[in-house]
Amino acid sequence: MPASLAPAESGDGDRVDVVRLETPCSPADDVPHASAFDRLKSILFGDERGTLAALDARVEKIEAAQRELPDRLPSAIERAQQARMAKSLARPVTEALGSAVEQNRQLIVDVLFPVIGPAIRKAIAEALRNLVADLNGAIESSLTPRGIRWRVEAWRSGVPYAEIVLKHTLKYGIDHVFLIERDSGLVLDRESAPQLPDLDADAIAGMLTAIGEFVRDSVGRDGSGTLDAARVGEHLLWVVQGPRANLACFIHGVPPAKLHAVLEQRLEAIHVALADGHDAADETVRRSLHPDVLMRDARVAASAPSAKSRWPAYLIAFIAVAVVAWIIAQRIRDDEWVEQVRASLATHAGFVTTRIERAGGALNVHGLLDPDAEPLDAAALGGARPRTPLKLDTVGYVSTEDTIVARRARRLLDAPASVTIETHDGVLALGGRAAAAWVDGARDRAAWVPGVRRVAFDVAREDDAVATARAALAEIARAMPSKLVAFVRETEPSADSAAVLDGIVADAQRAAALATTAGTPIRWIATGTNDDPGSDATNARVRSARAQWLADALRARGITNVATAPDDDALARATRQRAAFLRLSDATP
Amino acid sequence: MNAVAHKLCMLGDFGVGKTSLVARFVHSTFSEKYLTTVGVKVDSKEVALPGHAPCKLVLWDIAGRSQLDSLNMTYLRGASALLLVADGTRERSLHAALNLLMQSRTLLPDAIVALAVNKLDLVEQWEVAPAAIAELRRTLPVHETSARTGAGVEGVFADIATRLAA
Repeated sequence: MPASLAPAESGDGDRVDVVRLETPCSPADDVPHASAFDRLKSILFGDERGTLAALDARVEKIEAAQRELPDRLPSAIERAQQARMAKSLARPVTEALGSAVEQNRQLIVDVLFPVIGPAIRKAIAEALRNLVADLNGAIESSLTPRGIRWRVEAWRSGVPYAEIVLKHTLKYGIDHVFLIERDSGLVLDRESAPQLPDLDADAIAGMLTAIGEFVRDSVGRDGSGTLDAARVGEHLLWVVQGPRANLACFIHGVPPAKLHAVLEQRLEAIHVALADGHDAADETVRRSLHPDVLMRDARVAASAPSAKSRWPAYLIAFIAVAVVAWIIAQRIRDDEWVEQVRASLATHAGFVTTRIERAGGALNVHGLLDPDAEPLDAAALGGARPRTPLKLDTVGYVSTEDTIVARRARRLLDAPASVTIETHDGVLALGGRAAAAWVDGARDRAAWVPGVRRVAFDVAREDDAVATARAALAEIARAMPSKLVAFVRETEPSADSAAVLDGIVADAQRAAALATTAGTPIRWIATGTNDDPGSDATNARVRSARAQWLADALRARGITNVATAPDDDALARATRQRAAFLRLSDATP
Repeated sequence: MNAVAHKLCMLGDFGVGKTSLVARFVHSTFSEKYLTTVGVKVDSKEVALPGHAPCKLVLWDIAGRSQLDSLNMTYLRGASALLLVADGTRERSLHAALNLLMQSRTLLPDAIVALAVNKLDLVEQWEVAPAAIAELRRTLPVHETSARTGAGVEGVFADIATRLAA
């Protein structure tokens, strides 16, 4: 049944034109029907059929090309312009790698581990080797004068001490430098130190490459190890490995670690030049491999100041300045101390300082000492410097000082306490009262006392009982200040102070009886003393409290004629002990 | 003018005369003990070529064996030429040389190759038939050499150098 155009109605009653095709009843009906269908299509689509056929052919061609793509791709890549392809693929390959790392991190780690592991081990081993070399050099020279000199140089230059050690101790030279193609072992470039005999560089480079392969095959279990160094006696071979070429450096002596770093940098620069299309035998490359240039660069690298190393230099400088300042301050304090000792000696009656010197860590004082002078107390003179011994070297002499002459006169004349002796400018003045026999003898002998130029004798003669009483009283008065009541702290008396106090009470009672016989009223002064430590105010308060303690203790025992001393008592200041003592008042006749 | 260096590896069975050929051609820098320790000995010689720049041959004399192991394969890397050496008095050494060539081709597909049938001074004892040599000449250059007399030695190296320089 042929196709026919027939009107049809849509459901909503609108009229449209459609093509209605009757389904064929049997296969025999297909042919006329198909041809009719084709005619119909030609009527309906006309020229579009040609366009569709062209598109079909084009799609078929593209699909065929896609099917053949896997087979054609390798040769297409080989034919492609490599630089352009690399540039084009850089971005997608980078992104693909990034995506792979994000999504299959473990897989990437597993793949890269055999490569990264040996590289890390190699880097760590190299760093440790350099560190050990530096430490050995530093330890061996650290405490010698030469080491100290190098430390000063390191401090001045800001270069680490270990590198200064290497710079001075490690003498070396570079004999040959070979740039060797990694695969073939052929020499790409070579430089040798002048005046060395010529050698077959190609044969040596080849053997070196072969031995490197042999070592790697024999020792490197994972096949990744390389022959980096070899040493025979003082000759050393360093092989710096690169992806396309190796740098072999024949050295005699012990090179600094920096030289290896310089070789690595040089090889990296060469690889960059090779990648840029430069020839390995380029003049710039050749010059950069010259032994003298390499050694100069190693020296420059070794002496380049490091920012990290600055702070030890500053610390050492600070310590040095502090030490110098401390030494200067110590010297000033020493000088001040010596002047204090000199001034103290100048006030010591009967002593003349001839020389003061420092020797063997001690202060030696040389001088003249009168036998009647108070003995010198080295410990008391040393005072502020208990750790610096003060040694006294004295020679006897006769002093003409008034104090000493008076003391000498009292000793030689055996004057009783009731006799007053004073000297002034060589004039010996004797006063007071004494027994008649003593007066008679002393009048003649007084002029013979050394240092006395003239005698003013005015001693009243007494009967024997009064004189004896006065003499005994004077003796008690003289001895009384030596009876010291000691204190542990403040006004807490020591264990033996009670016995001392009993002695003082006994002497005071006996003095009262003698005073009655001599017809002389007496009055006692209680005086407190202190040792050196403590402020002036504290010490004055303590002295006053101790004097009051002694006065109270004596009053409690019946000694009532006791007063406390004013704080300007010179004897109290000179005592320098935690104590109190009793002395006769100056107003006593 | 600086000579261009080329790596030439010598392959062949044990005792075919590789080391003797090298010794006849160059004055060796290194001792032959490297052959038994490291497995290779390297020498070099500059060859003057008429009409070409001088060519330097760096000879890798690889210890004789009929099979190449992994170490020997690494020695072959970067070679521009292969000199196969066979002993004319031992036909098996010729088979070994050809076998070595087949193995090395996987690593060096473009290397120049030549075959030296050595011990020409013992030609009356040769097991290698002239017909076999003639057949081989159809596929690769074949030189008959004698390390003892020096016959053909310079020629085989000059042939390789010429082909390398071309």
